[in-house]
Amino acid sequence: MSCDELRDGYELYALGVLEDPERSELREHLGRGCEVCVAGVKRAREAMAVLAETVPPVAPPPRLRRRILASVGVERSRWWVTPMWVGISLSCLVAAFYYAGREHSLGIQMARVQTQSRQLLEEAARLNEALALLNQPETKQVTFGEGAPKPPRGRVFVNPRQGVLLLASNLPPAPPGKIYEMWIIPKGGNPVPAGLFQSDAEGAAMHLRRGPVDVAATGAVAVTLEAEGGAPQPTSTPLIVAAL
Amino acid sequence: MTLLPLLLAAGLSEGDRELAERLQRREPEALAELYDRYGRLAYALIYRIVRDTGAAEDLVQETFLRVWNRAQGFDAGKGSLGPWLLAVARNRAIDYLRSTSGRLRNALELEETEHPSHFLDLEKQILNSDMVRRVKGAFARLSENQRAVIELAYFEGLSQTEMSERMGQPLGTVKTWVRTALQILRDELGAAVSA
Ligand SMILES: [Zn+2]
Repeated sequence: MSCDELRDGYELYALGVLEDPERSELREHLGRGCEVCVAGVKRAREAMAVLAETVPPVAPPPRLRRRILASVGVERSRWWVTPMWVGISLSCLVAAFYYAGREHSLGIQMARVQTQSRQLLEEAARLNEALALLNQPETKQVTFGEGAPKPPRGRVFVNPRQGVLLLASNLPPAPPGKIYEMWIIPKGGNPVPAGLFQSDAEGAAMHLRRGPVDVAATGAVAVTLEAEGGAPQPTSTPLIVAAL
Repeated sequence: MTLLPLLLAAGLSEGDRELAERLQRREPEALAELYDRYGRLAYALIYRIVRDTGAAEDLVQETFLRVWNRAQGFDAGKGSLGPWLLAVARNRAIDYLRSTSGRLRNALELEETEHPSHFLDLEKQILNSDMVRRVKGAFARLSENQRAVIELAYFEGLSQTEMSERMGQPLGTVKTWVRTALQILRDELGAAVSA
């Protein structure tokens, strides 16, 4: 078929409703790179996209947003270690132990593997705890860093019984000799130290401060950069402030 | 009120390119922004097609996850996310309609129409408000049957054979309506592009 004959099929093809044999012919023809028809189909897509104009507006329920964001939780498995990941890591450790053990003292290797696997299990437990906090209905969440030019961004979750969970991205690892300190700031009071943490090489951080929190009396959660041992009161400008 | 001004505003915003790049880096916050920009449009379009709120929610979720998973193939420097996302949304909804009505599912074909590389350079033309006005005007001038066949193709994903069965009209008649309607839209579009 000639370009002229194929032309009637551009829009139907763009909508995925062109039937054979025209569809196969046009597809092959486009595959051969005919400039006229490629441009024609592109224009047809534009024209058809304009039809969205005729759709009456309907607002989606607010829960849909939460649901969609929750469904990409896979990405957060960087922070939220899954049992499978722990299993894989453990088997890597066992393999490392097996090979390294040929050259080094078996006892030292064994001790190292045990320490590392304990750390992994502790990490998994910490992450499970964080997940549990996230899933509580009474957990209040606030975001921070939105709209700032090169911000640490993220969320703070506050649960009256379980504590405060901070999830941050874009937070570069604290330089040597320094560490991040989280603060719980009561309304009209001085900041209360809420633990030290470090972010990973990709700038992701998760910090959980366990214990009951008086949510109504809390004004904000903040993070400062402090000397390695932490400080009783902030000594620098906060990098993160999440007002509750 | 119509949705296109929203589409225009969203597509014109500076951030589309940056947003596409952040989606490619798989930043969860980028998905949140994408939803805030296009979630309403996608939902309205899908709801118009499936007419069921529960199904519409599922399909909007599927749409955003698909875009999230395929953003790698999108050329952030050349394309606009909106038209691509809406094509994915329409296709998810049509696919759902086809499956619930027991019609033949041409999933492969729909996949082709939502390939991100097909949306290169799209925004420059689509965001031309003069073009939009002209095409809308032309759409309004179509006869009832001409408009009906275009809507059956766009909102229900019917082929001409299926339209002829649905409308109880000979295939030749349906083809004439389709051809004439598309010719009118195309002429108007050509005039807008060359204007
Ligand atoms: Zn050609």
